Amino acid sequence: MNPFEEHKLRLTRRHFFGSSATGLGLAALSSLLSEGAEAADAPKASTGALPGLPHFAPKAKRVIYLFQHGAPSQLDLFDYKPALHAQRGKDLPESVRQGQRLTGMTAFQASFPTAPSIFPFAQYGKSGQWFSDLLPHTSKIADDIAVIRTMQTEAINHDPAVTFFQTGFQLAGRPSIGSWVSYGLGSENKDLPAFVVMVSQGLGNSQALADRQWSSGFIPTRFQGVKFRSGNDPVLYLSNPEGYSPQARRHFLDDLAAMNELRGKTDPDPEISTRIAQYEMAYRMQTSVPELTDLSQEPPSTFDLYGPDSRIPGTYAANCILARRMAERGVRFIQLFHRGWDQHNNLPKEIRLQCRQTDQPSAALIQDLKQRGLLDDTLVVWGGEFGRTVYSQGTLTDDNYGRDHHPRCFSLWVAGGGMKPGITYGETDEFSYNIATNPVEVHDLHATMLHCLGVDHTRLTFKFQGRHYKLTDVRGNVVKELLA
Amino acid sequence: MQVTMVFTRPLPCAILASLFFLPLASAAVEFNRDVRPILADKCFICHGPDAANKKVPFRLDREEFAKAALAGGRHAIVPGKPAESELVNRITITNKGLRMPPAYSGLQLTDGETETLRAWVEQGAIWEKHWSFIPPRRPPVPAVKAQSAVRNSIDNFILSRLEQLSLSPAPEAPREILLRRVSFDLTGLPPTPADLDAFLKDTSPKAYEKAVDRLLASPHYGERMAARWLDAARYADTNGYQFDGERTMWRWRDWVIDAFNSNKPYDQFTVEQLAGDLLPHPTTSQLIATGFSRNHRINTEDGIVPEEYFAEQVVDRVETTSTVFMGLTLGCARCHNHKYDPLAQKEFYQFFAYFNNLPELGRGMKYGNTPPLLPAPTPDQQNKLDALNAQLEEQEKLLRRREKSAAPARWTPSVGLQYQLANSDLPHAPGKVGQAVVFDGKQIVTSSETGNFDIEDPFTIAGWVWSETTPDGSLVSRMVDSPKGKGYGLHLDHGHVYVNLTSVWADDAIRMRSEKELPAREWHHVAMVYDGSRTASGVSVFIDGAPLQMTVETNTLYRPFKNAGNAFKEPFRVGAGWGPDRRFHGMLDDMRIYERPLEPAEVATLALPTPASAGSPELHQLATRIEELKWERLKLIRSFPTVMVMQEQAKPRDAFLLLRGAYDKPGERVERGLPAVLGAMPAGLPNNRLGLAKWLVSGQHPLTARVMVNRLWQNVFGVGIVKTTEDFGAQGEWPSHPELLDWLATEFVRTGWDVKGLMRLMVTSAAYRQNSTATPDLLQRDPENRLLARGPRFRLSAEMIRDQALAVSGLLTETIGGPSVKPYQPAGLWKETAMQDMDYVQSHGPDLYRRGLYTFWKRTIAPPMMINFDAAGRETCVVRETRTNTPLQALDLMNDVTFVEAARRIGQRMLKEGGADPADRLRFGFRLVTARYPTDAEMQVLRRSLAYHADYFATNPEAAAKLLAQGEAPTDSTLEPKQLAAYASVGSLLLNLDEAVTKE
Repeated sequence: MNPFEEHKLRLTRRHFFGSSATGLGLAALSSLLSEGAEAADAPKASTGALPGLPHFAPKAKRVIYLFQHGAPSQLDLFDYKPALHAQRGKDLPESVRQGQRLTGMTAFQASFPTAPSIFPFAQYGKSGQWFSDLLPHTSKIADDIAVIRTMQTEAINHDPAVTFFQTGFQLAGRPSIGSWVSYGLGSENKDLPAFVVMVSQGLGNSQALADRQWSSGFIPTRFQGVKFRSGNDPVLYLSNPEGYSPQARRHFLDDLAAMNELRGKTDPDPEISTRIAQYEMAYRMQTSVPELTDLSQEPPSTFDLYGPDSRIPGTYAANCILARRMAERGVRFIQLFHRGWDQHNNLPKEIRLQCRQTDQPSAALIQDLKQRGLLDDTLVVWGGEFGRTVYSQGTLTDDNYGRDHHPRCFSLWVAGGGMKPGITYGETDEFSYNIATNPVEVHDLHATMLHCLGVDHTRLTFKFQGRHYKLTDVRGNVVKELLA
Repeated sequence: MQVTMVFTRPLPCAILASLFFLPLASAAVEFNRDVRPILADKCFICHGPDAANKKVPFRLDREEFAKAALAGGRHAIVPGKPAESELVNRITITNKGLRMPPAYSGLQLTDGETETLRAWVEQGAIWEKHWSFIPPRRPPVPAVKAQSAVRNSIDNFILSRLEQLSLSPAPEAPREILLRRVSFDLTGLPPTPADLDAFLKDTSPKAYEKAVDRLLASPHYGERMAARWLDAARYADTNGYQFDGERTMWRWRDWVIDAFNSNKPYDQFTVEQLAGDLLPHPTTSQLIATGFSRNHRINTEDGIVPEEYFAEQVVDRVETTSTVFMGLTLGCARCHNHKYDPLAQKEFYQFFAYFNNLPELGRGMKYGNTPPLLPAPTPDQQNKLDALNAQLEEQEKLLRRREKSAAPARWTPSVGLQYQLANSDLPHAPGKVGQAVVFDGKQIVTSSETGNFDIEDPFTIAGWVWSETTPDGSLVSRMVDSPKGKGYGLHLDHGHVYVNLTSVWADDAIRMRSEKELPAREWHHVAMVYDGSRTASGVSVFIDGAPLQMTVETNTLYRPFKNAGNAFKEPFRVGAGWGPDRRFHGMLDDMRIYERPLEPAEVATLALPTPASAGSPELHQLATRIEELKWERLKLIRSFPTVMVMQEQAKPRDAFLLLRGAYDKPGERVERGLPAVLGAMPAGLPNNRLGLAKWLVSGQHPLTARVMVNRLWQNVFGVGIVKTTEDFGAQGEWPSHPELLDWLATEFVRTGWDVKGLMRLMVTSAAYRQNSTATPDLLQRDPENRLLARGPRFRLSAEMIRDQALAVSGLLTETIGGPSVKPYQPAGLWKETAMQDMDYVQSHGPDLYRRGLYTFWKRTIAPPMMINFDAAGRETCVVRETRTNTPLQALDLMNDVTFVEAARRIGQRMLKEGGADPADRLRFGFRLVTARYPTDAEMQVLRRSLAYHADYFATNPEAAAKLLAQGEAPTDSTLEPKQLAAYASVGSLLLNLDEAVTKE
């Protein structure tokens, strides 16, 4: 971006929600916006989208990304391998492993016993997609989702792998996907952030999750994800101090605006009017966020649909309801992280618990969006940062095994927002170790997601350190077969 | 250089504005200023230094290629003849298939850019080396018409430009505003009312200069300057990546503060940080300085391939060094030749080779610092150490003197003895020196109290061993009872002595084995001494008092036994701990555990066939006293904070070009070398980090001085002369005042790299002292204030906003340096996403009110207030300052307990120090925060706010109590709560003013 555009962006899109600047004392700002030739290609006032975006008619207006943090086992959920039972306990053939690098956790293991899933699989829906019986609810939405069995990544450890999914690069420092999308497309709600993140705790082995996974990297910080938490302060510092009523806050803000406007009279710096507007938005958030997170008005049928956990604030299930409510309100990028999928040991026991927490709410979200007519323009993504090995980490017994990290192939599903429903895409080899047909790289997924949003991934760029950066770096192809 | 440009066609408004000055008729297009940025941005991606890799035959980055004949005899550039130049043809041709840049690149030339290129060819296509790679030459100071407006040479450059553009500078800022501005710029803190009064009272012509000197001499100057250096040096209190355990680098942070305060010349500042360890006889301070190159993140995750992160660490050093000292994006040449600048991939790895020669692994310690490290005592600790050493020396002298007149003394060491095997339920038998305990291979001895050592604790295990058959099994251990268990143990492996310190099987361990075998049916004394260094060289093994040769099997110990701070629950065992199959069978006598490393002579004493007790009781007492002092000294040294430092291995590690930057794809071997475009290593300098550092500050380097003065300019004026402070390469922005930049750079070198002098020069310029109020017209013409026709006005940095609240409320703890602290933070933030339930344990008392640069910085969950206000993330080097304006900042300032508490204390100050009249109190409070008195109109609003809140709290007394209960600082109980709450609310209003968070 050239300096003028950058500056113009600062003037016009500085508002965090990308909304039109309404509120008190904005005469100076609005006059700036309407003046001069640059107003013609200024960001669209309604959303704050970049000029020229979307590049073409979008299918999806928003994204709900259900990140399963820690890496779910494709072998026990989606990627059915009946032939593996004959290989049970045998060492994974070198012809399959092909010297693939292993993590430090199993690199010293003396043998690599093949561990078929102990969970039975069956076909569901008209589409006949395969799911294990760990996913009784996801099975019900078989015809609504596309299961990609051939995701692959370059990273083998959690932090770089999550960073890769979030930013298109393994090393920290680049903008996250939600930041890219809100930077490019702006917001459709003037009272809520464009990019919201929620984190819930799993029951299995949990790995750390860094705040920078939703940071805006080198693009301005107003595009960073805002973490919503359960409890009194869904957004940090949202609540007034104890003893300070909303009425008092209103008076406070009026006086503050009056003071700032007085300063603005002697100094035309647009920062002053912007600040006034930001305080107004903060005030609106104090209403809009609690209204959003208050589930007390949801009918019992909602909680029946999402399952018993959904009544407990902070759970994955409750966050799924919130995701739907955010979608209804036009939040652009909604990302849930559910921890606890890192099942190196005791996989059968831990994955049962994880699925009990996530299966019903994930499926309920799709059903709920669908019945409200929101699924058509909401792109939903469900998946982790890599897959898990076919060989057992640790001892393989009749009812227990573990699985190490596996970047070469894993499963992920997408739904709605222009994705083709009811298909299985790509095939892995008989060990679910290598990809047989149709690999999908992380950059391909990103390119495809952006495509659904009406964005050409090669043209959503930000210049930093002399380079025009893209979410998809120098790669990425839209997977046309996934598109409806 | 002329700073004007011409276009034959009118340019779109955007282009004009981007260049922030108006075009003057008939001036020349200049290659570096006008043409190279277009070529770099739109053409080099294919036709740049990396063209070969893209199999593109034509290059535009160098004159000889750009002007060479093309296949077919045509030329891309025919100087003076645009119509014959293929370049001009291809950027103007209507056929989209031939048009450059091609559509698929996503790049497009604007009409203005096309015209610039055409005009440049027409004017002769004069080529220049990229400006920043030419060493700065001192330009003449330009003459200006308004000589009276000049305070120092900076103003000549600023004014001459303004005069060219027919702009006038703004008048000087009001004095109180100016003092607030310069106080923030030089100390990061606002002026106190007393400072203001003194300054306003001082009517001498040099009053301002005096204030500047006072501020430069303040110890807070170093804190202010260090804050931005910490961003650049990616300083943090944790390791980053997944596990993100704590580290301690604050001794390095304090070194930086001290260096700025003592005005260490920037050349020394640079050399000590990059190569202090390679200076002759480096001091502790010079070694601490090298922590600069160790501030990078360190991965400690279990599953990593260490070689991968070894490469990342070295790359981080290269990128940080090149960005901080040279403003170069050398990292872009990691995977391929640089796309924009003349930096080859090979040169990246030649630079890499200066930074890869540490004894490091690529995997870090989960908790604490990763070697190489240095105990870095504080001055207080150093004094204690000196005193102990003196005492010890005295006692030892005494002992030597006494020993001359008596037989040599020998006693069984008693200091630090933690355990002696005795009185167990197991059978006893006559032993070597006393009653031995008999182990039958089943029964064992356990203790929960003993031997609770972790990997950094020194200890000694020693005792007599006898077995009917070849002795085998575990003698003493505290480990998970299995062959691959975690913990430490001294074992016998079929007669061979086997030392085992395993954190995670198989490779996170120190394991070693003796060649020598212990025979059956003989008493032998076995001892192991571990010094807590986590290395095999820190383990000594003895048989019968004599050192034993050991073969090291593994030598990497980086995770503590009690992982994540949880207790290590295994009991201490004698005769067991290496799995049920390796129980010891035989007799053990006088088995001892010391919680200190015994000296070889002491071990020898233990191995005497009869317990040693020769010499007089007096001597014994003296010897024991010496042992005690030594142990005390050891404990003291172990309490020293450490700092990770640079250290050079004797034999340089090989370096290779890494294909596509991948650690596991080494290409050709490379030698250390400097990027050719930047000139060679001056004669007489060693080809190592020290040479590199001295090359940077030789005074001949084209970038070092420019980059630093530009960053300091950014600190003060908000935007650098080169706006892209991180990139002085072809893609960097053209300087707003090229001659000024070069003049400052040469001045910096000329004055012996005097940082304080440079700061003084900038803040005493008339340009700096201008009023910051813009006119609407000027705002349109120069929105970013690059021309400086007015003073700087921009939002304060994150830590300044917090420091100001603490300072004006009287809460600030002014202590300089020391361990990082943990002020208020919303509960649960760490736990929600961190590993293994790491939680934030908030500080109390004065530590709640330390300046922001002392706030504990956890990389993966950075302090939320800092992030809200655009602080650098400290993951990697950041040198550009950014500022946004968001509702999260509004919520933070209104509701964060830090600011609510500060507002309460401002309210308290208004009541206690502001006089008896409400208007005086309001004026006092307003001035505390803004440095000026309010206008009448402002007073009206303040009165209204006070009246509203007085009424609100009068009718809601319980609300007042709740509001006043925020924060841990006590409230003056003599004040009426509802009144205090009302003033506190006005205090909050003041802290939220735009003016309060802005440097005007």
